[in-house]
Amino acid sequence: MDELTALLASTIRNGTPLAFAALGGLFSERSGVINIGLEGMMLMSAFAGVAGTYATGSTVLGLLVAMVVGLLFGLIHAVASVTFEADQIISGIAINLLALGGTGLLMVLFFGSGGTSPRIDTFPTIEIPLLSDIPVIGAVFSQSILVYLLYALVPLSWWVLYRSRFGLRLRAVGEVPEAVDTAGVSVFRLRYIGVSLSGVLAGLGGAFLSMSLLSAFTEGMTNGRGFIALAALIFGRWNPIGAFGAAMLFGFAQAIVFRGGIGFTIDQEFIEMFPYLLVIVALVGFGGRAVPPAASGQPYRKE
Amino acid sequence: MSDEPRADVGQTPRGGPGDALRSFVLAIGRALIFPVVALIIALAVGAVVILTTGNSVIDAYSALLRGGFGSPAALGRTIVNATPLIFTGLAVAVPFRGGLFNIGGEGQLFIGAIAGVGVGLFMPGPGPLVSLVAIIVAGLAGWLWGAIPGVLKIFGAHEVITTIMLNFVGINLAYWLAKGSFAGEGLVPGTDFVDESVRIIRIGGGLGGAHYGFALGLLAAVATYLFVWRTTKGYELRTVGQSPGVARYAGMSVAGGGFLAIALGGMFAGLGGGLESLGTFGKVSVPFISNLGFNGIGVALLGRNHPAGVVLGAIFFGGLAAGAQEMQFSTGVPLDLADVLLAVVLLFVTATRLVEYLLGPRARAFAAGTRLEKGLAT
Repeated sequence: MDELTALLASTIRNGTPLAFAALGGLFSERSGVINIGLEGMMLMSAFAGVAGTYATGSTVLGLLVAMVVGLLFGLIHAVASVTFEADQIISGIAINLLALGGTGLLMVLFFGSGGTSPRIDTFPTIEIPLLSDIPVIGAVFSQSILVYLLYALVPLSWWVLYRSRFGLRLRAVGEVPEAVDTAGVSVFRLRYIGVSLSGVLAGLGGAFLSMSLLSAFTEGMTNGRGFIALAALIFGRWNPIGAFGAAMLFGFAQAIVFRGGIGFTIDQEFIEMFPYLLVIVALVGFGGRAVPPAASGQPYRKE
Repeated sequence: MSDEPRADVGQTPRGGPGDALRSFVLAIGRALIFPVVALIIALAVGAVVILTTGNSVIDAYSALLRGGFGSPAALGRTIVNATPLIFTGLAVAVPFRGGLFNIGGEGQLFIGAIAGVGVGLFMPGPGPLVSLVAIIVAGLAGWLWGAIPGVLKIFGAHEVITTIMLNFVGINLAYWLAKGSFAGEGLVPGTDFVDESVRIIRIGGGLGGAHYGFALGLLAAVATYLFVWRTTKGYELRTVGQSPGVARYAGMSVAGGGFLAIALGGMFAGLGGGLESLGTFGKVSVPFISNLGFNGIGVALLGRNHPAGVVLGAIFFGGLAAGAQEMQFSTGVPLDLADVLLAVVLLFVTATRLVEYLLGPRARAFAAGTRLEKGLAT
């Protein structure tokens, strides 16, 4: 029983940064802007959270810094790909590279050397009374405050996307931007909001990584998680609940790696391939093909 | 001047040699606008970063230049860096001409690297022969790995996503072999070194670790040019890439052209990986050198997906990485600045609208060769 509880707790801890970033990718891609830069946005915010906490002595302010930096990187992606009509895929790759070089540079400037930052205080585990006492399932309710934020954001994102006027417009702009434009709503504004939200959410994922899962920043610490988040988003069919489920599934795979298998042996490398292989299967169409928003990848130009 | 995109060098000249020369210079000028704008912005951003570190911009940039090209040793380091980038750049440029975006260079490079080392470690026989077979196998392995997204595309899975995902599958597969069946006995995780006789021969002449893989890279660029621009198959590939509708009407197979393009791309990345593992490193360590595949995208775009541009782009990127070490050593500006410069170049090298703001509507026609105008859902 204890083993199972620990596995579930680890699944949630590992799935949370993926889920945040996948939700981030969702708002961007639903607005018609592909976001391959999730990895970079996470990495940059993971650093910003630690640096902010280190400078201010407050984890809350550190988190705020991480979110602002996430927003900033979202805006860079938006300026390049929406305003300047740069290729969205290339702009995303540029953001990943910028974060890799940028965090390396800032580590030296801010902490005096590269590698790993000094340790910081992390967000404490909050146990919800009664719920956290349930056997096994209790692990769901014995987590960092950021995890509870995620629990709230998933249904909220669903509601925003499918039940609000903003969500309707956002989805429309990702499918037929011309129609949205004809209706007198600004395509640019909606895409800017979508991509900015994506930066903030990916930033939360990165902050969770360095301020909750771990308690320091290490260069390159996202280690492909932004791409796994992208995989979760696609496997979850660009839907908040699906993306959350996929993120947790991939979190489970990581939990198995970190806990050294569960009963049977399978090489770590194959477990790490699992999310990526699953996405390819989904794209090829087993169990209903995953189809991206129709306008994603194309810059919009008013005629 | 018509509205047609005319980025290709070698338009048919109307008048005498003077006109031919002028149209050639114009074509080159147009081809360079996007890269030059991106470079100027990157150098400006870099200057701001250098100033915030409290250094002189001129000192830092001259150290960067000196470290990349200032001595035979510097040139050697640049060549070492540029060699795999020529291959990963071609790995993007060739599929691009066929209308596909290959982001899978990273994984294809790892597959080529481990396949090459596998042959290098286990094949009996004289060194040079083993070396030759190892390089061929690296290219073949890359070809196969690149063919997978080509096949998946036929089933409707977009190559951008499948190549990204296959990167991580390829990297993990290579690591699994390097730590498993191919593992060496040393303390460092990874394979053993291949025999000295199997390794790619060094150029020598004070160029340090630079090996003849660089010459193979130049050869590959020339071969690419000849194939893509001077053969029927290459013409089909370009037609499929530029106007699939026309290609279909002319009876060409769009899927087939795309498949060939991306498999060839995989082959180039695989060759690049094989030359890294057999030449530069002599083994595949865990972790192996990373980001060559992704940087190849920057190389290809800076070179506008033309083989000559790819070679120049690779030398530029390679020089930047080599120069960054000298810059860090002599001025204290962290070498990560090189990555930041590359990122800014990449961010703006396809910025159609930005160049339009600067040069007016004609700029749009110059964008040919920097981007594919279609979404993920197509």
